[in-house]
Amino acid sequence: MNASKTLAAMAILSVSATAGAAGNHGNGHHTANSGEAGKASEASRTVTVEMYDNYYEPESISVKPGETVRFVVENKGNLVHEFNIGTPGMHEAHQKEMQMMVEHGVIQGGTLNHDMMNMEMGNGHSMKHDDPNSVLLEPGQREEIVWTFSGANAIEFACNVPGHYQAGMYGDIEINKGD
Amino acid sequence: MNRRLVAGFLFSLLPALVTAGEYDLTVDRVDIDTGEFVKQGIGYNGASPGPVLRFKEGETVRINVTNNLDEVTSIHWHGLILPFEQDGVPGISFPGIRPGDTFTYEFPIVQAGTYWFHSHSGFQEPDGAYGAIVIEPEGREPFRYDREYVIQLTDKHPHSGDRIMRNLKMMPDYYNRQQQTVGEFFSDASEQGLLTTLRDRMAWGNMRMMKADVEDLQGFTGLINGKGPEQNWTGLFEAGERIRLRFINSSAMTYFDVRIPGLNMTVVQADGNNVQPVTVDEFRIGVAETYDVIVRPKDAEAYTIFAESMGRSGYARATLAPENGMEAPVPALREPSRLTMADMGGAHDRAHGDMAGMNHGDGDNSMPSDMSGMDHSGMAGMDHGAMARDQSAEGDPFYAKGSGLLPEAANGGKFLSYADLKAQKPLYENRAPTREIELRLTGNMERYTWSINGVKYEDADPIRLQYGERVRFKFVNETMMTHPMHLHGMWSILDVGAGEWNPVKHTVSVQPGTTVFMETEVDATGQWAFHCHLSYHAAAGMFRKVIVEGGPEGSGA
Amino acid sequence: MTRIQTITSTGALVLSLIPMAADAREMIADHTARKQPLTTWGIQFEELEYRYSDDDEEVGVWSADAFYGTDDLKFRWMSKGEYAIDEQAYEGLENQLVAQTPISAFFDAKAGMRFDTPEGPDRTYGVVGVTGLAPQWFEIDASLYVSDEGDASAELDAEYELLITNHWIIAATLDASVAFSEDRQIGVGKGLVSTETGVRLSYDLIDRAFSPYLGVVHERKYGDSADLAEAEGASAEDWFAVIGARIAF
Repeated sequence: MNASKTLAAMAILSVSATAGAAGNHGNGHHTANSGEAGKASEASRTVTVEMYDNYYEPESISVKPGETVRFVVENKGNLVHEFNIGTPGMHEAHQKEMQMMVEHGVIQGGTLNHDMMNMEMGNGHSMKHDDPNSVLLEPGQREEIVWTFSGANAIEFACNVPGHYQAGMYGDIEINKGD
Repeated sequence: MNRRLVAGFLFSLLPALVTAGEYDLTVDRVDIDTGEFVKQGIGYNGASPGPVLRFKEGETVRINVTNNLDEVTSIHWHGLILPFEQDGVPGISFPGIRPGDTFTYEFPIVQAGTYWFHSHSGFQEPDGAYGAIVIEPEGREPFRYDREYVIQLTDKHPHSGDRIMRNLKMMPDYYNRQQQTVGEFFSDASEQGLLTTLRDRMAWGNMRMMKADVEDLQGFTGLINGKGPEQNWTGLFEAGERIRLRFINSSAMTYFDVRIPGLNMTVVQADGNNVQPVTVDEFRIGVAETYDVIVRPKDAEAYTIFAESMGRSGYARATLAPENGMEAPVPALREPSRLTMADMGGAHDRAHGDMAGMNHGDGDNSMPSDMSGMDHSGMAGMDHGAMARDQSAEGDPFYAKGSGLLPEAANGGKFLSYADLKAQKPLYENRAPTREIELRLTGNMERYTWSINGVKYEDADPIRLQYGERVRFKFVNETMMTHPMHLHGMWSILDVGAGEWNPVKHTVSVQPGTTVFMETEVDATGQWAFHCHLSYHAAAGMFRKVIVEGGPEGSGA
Repeated sequence: MTRIQTITSTGALVLSLIPMAADAREMIADHTARKQPLTTWGIQFEELEYRYSDDDEEVGVWSADAFYGTDDLKFRWMSKGEYAIDEQAYEGLENQLVAQTPISAFFDAKAGMRFDTPEGPDRTYGVVGVTGLAPQWFEIDASLYVSDEGDASAELDAEYELLITNHWIIAATLDASVAFSEDRQIGVGKGLVSTETGVRLSYDLIDRAFSPYLGVVHERKYGDSADLAEAEGASAEDWFAVIGARIAF
């Protein structure tokens, strides 16, 4: 593929990334049904999530509506993995973006091409994977997410690296409305 | 070795002994009912296909095989890593199992995944002597599913294997009913012009090769788990479940293009080894290969598993449904495939003198793409992104550029390529090969002779390998047919250009007009078979014995 | 160690003997059929037919071929007969036994004997020739004969198949013979002796094992051979309608 084609494809990618991300962040007045980024100081507890090839430990987490949880996510596998909190629909939309990241060499098996991710694409877009509801980690990396759950049902944490979700790399977030 | 050491050694075997599984198999004459015809064949424990053998990684299995036939038999455990004496190839591993005898196989299970077993004697395998092997891993699977099914494909032909071989020797096109006709000549002429069509037919006639030579053996009924299309094998599910389908192609001769209209399939394993999951709409399964896929039907509907032969001369069909009796539409067969000059690679090359200056009708006289871009000796810094772009721009790199066999998904979606297969977890450290061995896949369709480097097995010396080598095999397909090459006893690391992530297989398909590389860590002393898994090609001579010399004392244990 | 453990470890001892025995590394030699040249056989009636001529002559005709052997060496028996139904006599009856071996990708050389035993004088010939597939799919069989009378002759058989469909097939055949010397006793003059040209439309009814056909055959004798035939009251040129079947098993 020549340079101009690559640029064109990247432009498409950046547009779609923007569209996909619109529900999750931006002007701060959205109400995504999975919840929103929280403050570490408000976190009621810390949950450690380990990512392997290709599954999570644990595979299910129970939270209370409105609870803020600090997730410590560690990639203990040999491949790049994501930890992303969202509805199945959001994951599906995000998988298309991740597919493009693979096609454009941003995700290469066990490594991320950071130069490609940070490349300025014009209009302020890039292939940065910096939505607050997710982290994308290379093997050995560890990061935190603080998330306040809205209380809506059907929320999963999932890895949207192509094929991983379909193969079963997801976990259920059970909203515990009791007590 | 002193007494204490012996005792310690024995003690270390205890866990294996505790989990030893014992299995009994009888080899029997059976009736095979395809729904279209009933024939006498060979089966295990009174049926063809035989039972699904379920092993557990880490156990030692004992399998008592009793031969109730009036001829020698054998069982080869396809894809299993085991001592060569247990590999089940008469004349290479052991003498075979005589009529009335019981032979006890015994070997440790050192792997997990989907495999199969079959007779390695005469044409017993095409006659029905095959079954599935499912090995549960010691640890957890790197994927999740709610239920699983073995989907074992075969191409059941009304004729016996012996008769098919004889007919092919007598008339190589005996079973080919997709040959180009006068009608096709006129329709091509009206589309492409009379002169172009005439030149095209002349070019092929000059080589004495047929564009329609995709499937040697037509007239079969495709079976799934022993059931013909009308008998419709059905697997049940509940909506929303993830189902693991373990596809095994136990055909004698037939490649299948598999799809499930309405569902995409996430390929998680190939030839028993986990691969990085890749979601596809359709995949081609070579003879003797296995692919495990996960599907997730969200609706409580019936779905057709449709396996269309590569040459489109037949199909197998099964159903996934919430309840028995439900069925979904069965798609029509697509148009028969036609080879192009690109597929002719080697043959075309050799015949080229006769065709100098000829403008081929296909408009593509390119030499085989030998995937020179994929021959990376130092693969470390390779840009996988560039690889993916190449694929989308030029099609599947494992087919000759312009190949008539290049698969396309029926729904226009994603068709699995070998280039998509990446090991989930590398089995071996990635290192440079110690030497390269070129194997030209050769043959003559008009004589129905098949060979390697122009030499049939009967005339060939064994291939000698040294324990500890990493050998790079270079397959150059000079024939117009696809050959699924199967090395026994050691893994075939298929070079897809992914370095340490190259997938580990037991059977590697080499398309016409292409060159494919695979590497083998020579880690199993003994002698092994290495052959094309098309039954009638192997029998015609596309077969080798591999001898692995050296190695640690008692490495076969 | 408890009794059960002892029993189990005895079992382990037996088990461990199996891999130990394998240390002997018995590398057996392959004497199976796979390591032997593949021997095969076939029988074909390229023609098995009833002919009705424009002179109301009725003839039963066959052209058959049986082989046995390997890729490198085949033995072939070819038989051709023409039986005149009214006369109850063989106008032609020849049997050839040849051995053949590949000489190129698509051609075999053959050598052997031919025995002609029709009504009238018999002849025995030595034969050498080539047989195979020429470019553009012409099946060719060319033979050179020397008879026990010392006469030399040559024969060319060619066949081309045209696929109307994959089951309806038109086969065009040409059989021409040339004599290098005269053998009056069997009606052969020097030069081009005869040609037989046929076109047959067949249908593959059972696989390729049984394919009935209809066709037209033109037989012609030339030169001295024609004169010799006419001198005996036979015609030098005949047209036949034919009905028959191609058979392979």
